Order: sequence, then C-alpha cells, then structure tokens
Amino acid sequence: MTTLGTNLPPSLLATLAGHYYTDPTIFELEQARIFETHWFAAARAGEIDTPGKFKTVQVGRESVLLVRGRDGVLRAFLNVCRHRGAKLCVEESGETKRALQCPYHAWTYGLDGKLVAAPNLTKMPDIDRVEYGLVGVQMREWLGYAWVCLADEPPSFEDTVIGAATARLGDAELIDRWEVDSLEVGRRIVYDVKANWKLIVENFMECYHCATIHPELTEVLPEFADGYAAQYYVGHGAEFASEVQGFTVDGSEGFGKLEHLSEDQDRRYYAVTVNPQVFINLVPDHVIFHRMYPVAADRTIVECDWLYSKDVVATGKDVSRSVELFHRVNQQDFDACERCQPAMSSRAYTRGGVLVPSEHHIAEFHSWVTDKLA
Amino acid sequence: MIPVCAVRDLPVGEAVRVEADVPIAVFNVDGELYAIDDTCTHQDASLADGWLEGCLIECPLHATCFDLRTGNPTGPPAKKPVRTHEVVVENDHVYVRVSTSILQHGDVA
Repeated sequence: MTTLGTNLPPSLLATLAGHYYTDPTIFELEQARIFETHWFAAARAGEIDTPGKFKTVQVGRESVLLVRGRDGVLRAFLNVCRHRGAKLCVEESGETKRALQCPYHAWTYGLDGKLVAAPNLTKMPDIDRVEYGLVGVQMREWLGYAWVCLADEPPSFEDTVIGAATARLGDAELIDRWEVDSLEVGRRIVYDVKANWKLIVENFMECYHCATIHPELTEVLPEFADGYAAQYYVGHGAEFASEVQGFTVDGSEGFGKLEHLSEDQDRRYYAVTVNPQVFINLVPDHVIFHRMYPVAADRTIVECDWLYSKDVVATGKDVSRSVELFHRVNQQDFDACERCQPAMSSRAYTRGGVLVPSEHHIAEFHSWVTDKLA
Repeated sequence: MIPVCAVRDLPVGEAVRVEADVPIAVFNVDGELYAIDDTCTHQDASLADGWLEGCLIECPLHATCFDLRTGNPTGPPAKKPVRTHEVVVENDHVYVRVSTSILQHGDVA
C-alpha cells in the first residue's frame, strides 16, 4: 500500500495517519516518551503560596504533588506513599498544617518530603528518613508556573522551554517584558475537550481556519483572515485592526499596556507553543496561558488562565470583555477539534489528511512527535 | 540521672529523644525544659518527632496533644497520660531524673 505522502502535489504535506489520534497504545507511548520526559507546566506557583498549601496534578501516568515547604520553597514529589503505595493526597488542592500523612498506615512526611514519623518507626532505626522519604520530581519555576519533569535526566529547560519561546519570538528577552511571573490570574476556565491532544496543538498552530470559525478574532486581527498564524513567523506580532482599541470581544478598550512593553509590542498579538502542552498568547494588557492535560487518546483537559497586572486584579476591574474574546476562540477551536476526533477512525482518514502551505509548519510538530515515539 | 545533651544542643522549640529503660523526650519551650515519656500512649510513635506549640506536643501520627507539664492528653485518640520527668541542668548539661511512677500503658519498652 502506498502512503498518501508519496504522491502528494507540492502544495500538500501529509498529516499523521488517523490511528495516531485514536490508538490507546500510541497514547500510552506518548505518555511515556513525551509527557513523562519533557518539562510540563503543572500549576500556577502563586496559588501554592504559603507553607503547607499543596496541589496534585496528573502528569503523564503519574500523580505529582506540589507542596510549599516551611522554608517557603515549592517542591514536587510523586504522590505515592513509600510504604505500601497508597496515593498520599487525594484532593486536587488543599492545605496541611504540618505534614503529609498517608491515610492508610499514617506514614507521615514533612513538607520537604522527609519521613517524619510512622508507627513503630523508632523500633526500626535502620530506616533512613531521607531514603524512605517521598520521591522528588524535578521542578523549575518560569513565567510564574511550576514546571515539572518526570525524567531522571530532564532535557535542558533553557533549550526546550525557554528556547521554544525564543525561537518563536526571535529574541530571548522579549517574553520577559510581559513579566508573566508577576501577573495575577484574573480568570481561569477549564475545558474538557473530547479530542486528542495533538488535534488541539495542530489547531493552535495554524490560522487557515480563522476566517471561517473565528469571526470575533479576525475582526481584531484582520491579517488572520489570510490564514497565516502568528506561529507561522518568527518574531511577528499580528497587528490589531486600526479601528480596534483593545484585545476584547467587541474591540473596545482594554487596560493600559503592561509596564515594560515598548511601542513596538503595543497593539500586537504574539503566540508561542511550548511542546508538548503549553500555548501562550501575549497581548499588550494581558497574557493568556493554556495548559493541556491529556487524559485519554480522545480526551484532553485544557486549563486556560487569563493573567493581568496585579493592579487590574486587585482593583476588581471588569476583565469579562477580554476574557470573552479568547474564551469564544477556545470554544470555536475545541468544537472544531471535537468535530475531527470521531473522524480520525473513519476509513476516509486511515492514511490521514493533508496540510496546505499555511499549515506546512505543522509537519515539524508531527516529526517531533514521531521522533519521540520512534 | 540520665545524661541527655549539652544545653546548647537543645535549642528553643526543639526536642531530643534519649534511650533510657523507656525512651524519654526532652523539649525546650522558650528556655524551659520539660521531659516526658517519648512514646505516645495511643500507638508507638516518637513524640520528639511531633510538633511543639507552647507546652503542648502534638503526636505526629494521630494528632493527640500531650501537656508537657502534666503528661495528660488533651483529646483523643490517646486516652492515657505519658509520665513526666524532672529535668536537671548542671554544668551546661541536661539530665533527666526518671520518674518512678508506673507506666500507664501496656507497651513497655
């Protein structure tokens, strides 16, 4: 059987075959080789702000526990008791006064992961309290998020995470101007999308669909109607329409541009993808930060934060018009992804589909995925 | 008397466990030293590993607090008190004079 890719006219490149989006075996391989080996934005660090606060996050097939220590340091551990393997914290988030205690046999760990107490522990002086403490997970904080990596030897954070932003924006320092770590979550919306995570990444990378499904977005960013996403270029911010005042659902005025942005970055929209699960949109007065949590071959949870200056959030300014713009875009995109998902197992898509020139850069993402799975 | 440690090795807010016939824990509460049996009367856990707040030590396993002055638990699950012991400081060293009272719980070391 010939593959579609071999006889394509130059305008077209092949997508992945349909089963890449439906096969549980491939999904499991992706969990192991992609989500459990790359840096993964797990949580907004500022939400775990005081000693004893914790959050549990599913990363690949592991539950990861993020907890702020008494020394103020945020740490990540596998959420598993070292004794008999019970899940340590079952809540998604919470606050513990002093320690993390397994609800099964009461093995008790300090907020630094060290084994503090256990029944009869003093009669077992040969148990090393660090050795039998919680298993630590590599963690870095960047843009105000706690990024974790389950690999024993994580890839370079500078190359694979910061480097992704640099490659898209064409300048290593540009993203720092938004001071994303000092912004506050003005709104968070969680989407339960019945689609494979790769459909969501691919959708985010192209704008061939923009004129068809994003009427509000193309009103604000007219060049998107041409089908070339900000992600197609290096260092390109899509310009706001001349009659538009802000990045809002009706083009009405937003908030003042963030402090360190120059005139060059004003009235523009930048977008960055950090493989495998983060999309960042940068506009003059806020940042939209998406994190994907793949749950199954055909289901992905997407958490989207709208981040504003401390002042905007503290003074309770109405963020609804700017939230509404990208919330609609998200709904339109995720509806489209959900429309594709059932067709991934259709005979019509056995060998996959095609990418038009304005989507050709998606083939690089496909190579990235297949390289990891090889 | 049982030697415990140098005074400087037991800073404020800390505890030290000593192996006597029965393990004993000595606590430094704002400069005042207290000694009690180290083992919780509910389940075998070291109170020296617990959390000190004022004159109360909270067991690290099931959160019963014992009053260091009386040895009495303030609430369940422990029901029986721990013994208290006299602390003596001589020449910058901490010693404990072990109480001769009978252990309240069956778990004799």
